[in-house]
Amino acid sequence: MADLNELISGLESLPTLPSTSSRLISMLGDRDVDMGEVSDIVRIDEALSLTVLRYANSAAYGTPGREFNLRESIVRLGSETLLKIVLQLQVGQVVTRSCKAFDMSREAMWRSAIGGAVAAENLARQHCEEDRDICFVAGLLRDVGKLVLDQKFGESYAELVSQHLTPTTTFVDAERQAFGTDHAEVGGALCRHWQLPERIAQAVQFHHCPAVPGEGHDTLVDVVHAADIISLWSGLGLGQDGLQYELAPHVKTALKLSRRKAEREIAAMWAAVRSVEEALGMSKGQSERSAA
Amino acid sequence: MVVLKGPAAEIVTHALGSCIGVTIYDPTTHVGGMLHFMLPDSKINSEKATDNPAMFADTGIPNLFKQAYELGATKENLIVCAAGGAEVLSDGGHFKIGSRNRTVLRKIFWKNNVLLSADDTGGNNSRTLHLSLADGTVTVRHRGKGEVLWPI
Repeated sequence: MADLNELISGLESLPTLPSTSSRLISMLGDRDVDMGEVSDIVRIDEALSLTVLRYANSAAYGTPGREFNLRESIVRLGSETLLKIVLQLQVGQVVTRSCKAFDMSREAMWRSAIGGAVAAENLARQHCEEDRDICFVAGLLRDVGKLVLDQKFGESYAELVSQHLTPTTTFVDAERQAFGTDHAEVGGALCRHWQLPERIAQAVQFHHCPAVPGEGHDTLVDVVHAADIISLWSGLGLGQDGLQYELAPHVKTALKLSRRKAEREIAAMWAAVRSVEEALGMSKGQSERSAA
Repeated sequence: MVVLKGPAAEIVTHALGSCIGVTIYDPTTHVGGMLHFMLPDSKINSEKATDNPAMFADTGIPNLFKQAYELGATKENLIVCAAGGAEVLSDGGHFKIGSRNRTVLRKIFWKNNVLLSADDTGGNNSRTLHLSLADGTVTVRHRGKGEVLWPI
């Protein structure tokens, strides 16, 4: 494939990250986040205000019999939670589009993004606490490259990749054979185009092939890789690529990923996604009853 | 998990990865149900099993059958199908989440004298499972293609 920057700049309607998101992402990891700045962003955005109200009055954060107004809600949630909610909504909106290239509905893209973000944050708590918020955002954005490929190639993308798939080929290898690049690399390039921190771009780019310990190794990438595999096991937002991926052996060791821990993470991921959907007031379609 | 009565109903579950979808259908009463369980054993988290029994095979499967019986289904009439239980290409042979789900499913059915009428499990594909309560047709869709799993 031609130059990645050319691919991205050549698209007519590129996925757009709200300008406030870049600013907020740069505030991640700062334990003394300026509450006033985050509050200002929330107040001027009607959708954000509504979401914050929903969260503060939800079963997880609310108080039965008491309804909090916006000012009270902002104080109640605190700067860290508020920042995460804002990013979840803003970045979530970017990744929540149907993706024909991977045969994924809007709902599948959303669940996959949120599931990966939650799992990455959980793993970060145990392995790189200081990078918890960055892991959350990288988990959220890890498959954003799929949207670029969707705009460029549509449903023909997966069809062409499938021609290179064998029972032992990973989907990213087949993508490389068909197109000379893969959705992770394209996602990394898009993150750089958005001028996000380089570590986030690296985590997105290498989330299917994290570097082994040594030069260039970053636990952040290991965490996003493991979160992606947990999301696959959970079936959160699977598409045409199915489970045609591999868990890097060194990540299993580094993150002490036992079967029991993996199963706990799967259970936690599902519960967290359900709670986010409830807080955001997302409901399922009524034409068919869904068993999950 | 969903259990319904009436020929007009359709039940679907999307994106079965290592999880397994189980369908049951009684053609005489048009009672049908679907469970999408994620993990084999509720012992890993009893709190989550209480909140959401459908998450685990050992708590979800008995619940699925119980709810169908409450709506008038009978065990001898039930047509039972399953799909899912896929694996990632390589996890070092250690986790086998899909394989453990498949094993526990069979163990529970064997213990309770339940026979699987049809199944499409294993491999690396994501699957979407669909049950029509009009005639009990079970369809599995993966890689953009749909296949009738039952009737065979």
